[in-house]
Amino acid sequence: MNPAPPIEGGRPRARGRHPRERGPAPRTIRPGRVLDLLLHVSEVLDTVVDPEVAGWSVLVAFTAGEGLGFNRAFLLLAEGEELRGWFGVGPRTRDEARKVWTEMRGAGVLPLSRLREPDHAAIESEQRRHAATLAALSHAHSPECNSWRRAFIGRPNHPSACVRHWSAALESRDLAVVPLMAPGRPWGVVLADNFVTHAPIHRATLEAAETLAHYLRAALERTQLLQRLQGERRQRIVAEHATALLETARTLAHDLKNPLALAGGLARELVAAPPADRETLMRQLGIVAGAVSRAEQRVGELVEGLANRADGIALEPVEVGGLTDRVAAAFRPLAASRGVRLLCYHPARPVVAAAAAASLERCVENLIANAVEALSDRGGEVHVAAREEAPWVRIEVADNGQPLPAALRADPFAGGVTTHRGGSGLGLRSVRTLAEAMGGRVEYDEREPGWARFTVVLRRWS
Amino acid sequence: MTGSRLLFVDDEEGFLELYRATFSREGYTVDTAAGVDDARGLLATGGIDLVVLDIRLGTSSGLALLREIKAADARLPVVLATAYARYQDDFSSWLADAYVVKSSDLGELKLAVARCLETAQ
Repeated sequence: MNPAPPIEGGRPRARGRHPRERGPAPRTIRPGRVLDLLLHVSEVLDTVVDPEVAGWSVLVAFTAGEGLGFNRAFLLLAEGEELRGWFGVGPRTRDEARKVWTEMRGAGVLPLSRLREPDHAAIESEQRRHAATLAALSHAHSPECNSWRRAFIGRPNHPSACVRHWSAALESRDLAVVPLMAPGRPWGVVLADNFVTHAPIHRATLEAAETLAHYLRAALERTQLLQRLQGERRQRIVAEHATALLETARTLAHDLKNPLALAGGLARELVAAPPADRETLMRQLGIVAGAVSRAEQRVGELVEGLANRADGIALEPVEVGGLTDRVAAAFRPLAASRGVRLLCYHPARPVVAAAAAASLERCVENLIANAVEALSDRGGEVHVAAREEAPWVRIEVADNGQPLPAALRADPFAGGVTTHRGGSGLGLRSVRTLAEAMGGRVEYDEREPGWARFTVVLRRWS
Repeated sequence: MTGSRLLFVDDEEGFLELYRATFSREGYTVDTAAGVDDARGLLATGGIDLVVLDIRLGTSSGLALLREIKAADARLPVVLATAYARYQDDFSSWLADAYVVKSSDLGELKLAVARCLETAQ
């Protein structure tokens, strides 16, 4: 099939150019190859969640030799009355083009094959490299831009001030201008040219560029929405974390205020009216001393609790199945020595929670240690399970040992109650502190007869 | 009103000791209860002029007891004394005649007790 003729200033192909100036641009683009390219790019964009990756993927398709073959391409997005340079791909100078293309040719690199596994460092580097050019391209869009419909070739003497500005900024003689329109105004524009090879731009190439630009717009709108939703979700997690922190601070403040009020009140009473008998005096002094000790202990716990919360603020994706496997494996020799069977269950696919890995490990360690301790006298089984229950991830540690003593059952995580099971109670309290610090919670139930189950509930990472 | 009979309900024995010492010296007759059941028993015997009630009573709620007391005798004054200032925003606490945040200075509580007794006259 004969290629479509060059349009609007397409120039006859230069004959006898120096081989180093033979860029990646294909001389013609066949319809079958365009379809393959469009299919490939659309498949790639289906999986992209990051706007920068979407921009990079499509502009690589514009510039790759096995793509549309432009020497360079830029995306500008509308911001108010301005079309602002947002992303660029390709060499900045002729010398850079020769160097890069020679290297790529030597290494046998096919850029389109890289789209499925984008190199984020390379994308950032590309953004930095083109920052100055993108800033120079930014321009207030003129009224005539509002009537653009189709892609066209812009020249330095184009009637539109925008096109003249971009041609001058890029020193481009034939600039492919691919407008993306919102109702009555530009949404964005892709600019591309062959500033090194001066290869002609055919209508078929321009039409394919239009389709790619529309793919890019759809991908950008989707990924930007996704990014905004994720940002809001993170803000919600932080807010929940702050609420949990506030609630704990209130509880701790109460625990601190009570003994202080008591000690101060009794001390005032002793000063105002010292008891006549020594026994009453000693009893009241004992209450004061006890209350002061309690306040001191609460302050220590408060300091520790706040430290835990500071650790917990940085939430990250934590694969819970692997984490529970690791912790359980560490406990298995101890469990076996006490006749306890330790089993782990989780789905084959990753279960990812918003957590701080070290804090979550401590939670699981404490719960497994508690369960093994509960079974140490007679043996039994401990089941550790991780599962998703949208939007939560549940990490359960259940044992078929003795149930919690009544004193602990009302609030197993309150701490301070000393029993064989649960030890000082501080381990369970620590689990609650850590879980709340990660924006989660802990639960205890005996709904399955013969089993005591502790569950850490955290937000699923997304 | 000195000579009135006050019932203090608090799950912490230290506070009950403090209330006994302070309010007895002020001329009141002081009864104390460490929990909801003890308080119900003392209220059932009658003759209580005012109740000073903590909100957190172990696993029980002082606010639930407040509702019980007011359902039985709406005229019996009840002063809530708690470390939690935030319960003032809980409408259940609005049934109380006064709300005092616990402090080592019992001046505010003494004042609240005196005012409530005077109003109840």
